[in-house]
Amino acid sequence: MAEYACLIIEDSPMMRQLLVFALARVRNLRVTEADDGVDGLRKLANARFDLIVTDINMPIMDGLKLIRRVRTDPVHKDTPIIVITTEGAQEDRHRALQLGANAYITKPIQAPQVIAKVKELLGVS
Amino acid sequence: MSSAPPVPPPSERPASFNKERDEFIQTFFHKGARFTQELLQENEQLSQRLSDLEAENAAMRLQIKSDQAIRELLTKIAQLEEEKAKLLSAVREVEAKSSAVETTYSEVEMELANLAGLYVASRQLHSTMNVSSTVKQIKEILEQLVGAKAYAVYFLSDDAASLVCIASQGLDEQASRLDQHLGPEGKVFRTGEAYISEDGDLASRPLSDPAACIPLRIADRVVGVITIVATLEQKPKFLPVDYEYFKLLSGHAASAIVAARLFANANHQVPGIESFLEHGV
Repeated sequence: MAEYACLIIEDSPMMRQLLVFALARVRNLRVTEADDGVDGLRKLANARFDLIVTDINMPIMDGLKLIRRVRTDPVHKDTPIIVITTEGAQEDRHRALQLGANAYITKPIQAPQVIAKVKELLGVS
Repeated sequence: MSSAPPVPPPSERPASFNKERDEFIQTFFHKGARFTQELLQENEQLSQRLSDLEAENAAMRLQIKSDQAIRELLTKIAQLEEEKAKLLSAVREVEAKSSAVETTYSEVEMELANLAGLYVASRQLHSTMNVSSTVKQIKEILEQLVGAKAYAVYFLSDDAASLVCIASQGLDEQASRLDQHLGPEGKVFRTGEAYISEDGDLASRPLSDPAACIPLRIADRVVGVITIVATLEQKPKFLPVDYEYFKLLSGHAASAIVAARLFANANHQVPGIESFLEHGV
């Protein structure tokens, strides 16, 4: 069975841990953590990921800049990106989706919702 | 014995006799031919009739066969309808069971997610013995897990006369010090009973009517209050798990802060075994 690699980019250790717990419910999904955009890009440069889950408001490099960079990366330009953020305004959602995010989930998260979206984007049941 | 009169040879017969004989023969043949013609016609008609009857018979046999087939088909249809009804009933039963299982599964999944959230919150809250890090963890629980947009954490002042704000978010006008006898925070502090609003839009509340007010306890003693004035726009109401987060914060936040403070006071020294024994461990 295929194994998938997911990168979680989130500055809050609590939210990272929560996402790791949630994504542990998805079979054959290997999760790597990064605590800001720069750390995320470093990890993306060193390995291939099938899915990226990112926050927007992060120190050093925010999620929107990260999406822009990922979409110009030949290796990850088509990798699905899920944005998980406290920003619930429609314009924030549009902006993230316009930049190339595939899904937009607002905090506080409901783990089943995140799991469902991850499965949908990876095409697994 | 008499014998027939001798027939004179044709050449000796009278001409009228010959003529009469010829006419007779002609008439006889004509009648014979007509009769034969009539017989042939009749035969043809009978043949036609026979053929028609045979066709009619075949059609009737076919009709009977067809009626029989229809009757059989109708019986078969009735049987199939009955079978279909049974199958549909079985399918509905299975669907109902499957739906019940799905609902239970979703509930279990949600319960697991909630437990994971509580575990993470509890673990993070006690992951540090540094006061500012502990307060940061409390803020994280409020922002990331509960979805609080505007809130403040109050602790009882040294003179026990007022509640002092030790952390806040999204509140420009929030008082840094509150009278412990006034307002919703004062009431919660005095009674030790949490106040959680269950009606109205939690995302936009006035300072005087917060979305929730939680007492901070150390054992039975109330030493502070968390007031959540408003939640994020996408969080219009509190969920059952939020009540569990409030219980967690109420029971653990203050002790985590105080423990971190005492640890700092003790210059991060872990108490020796003697101190435990002194306390009857």
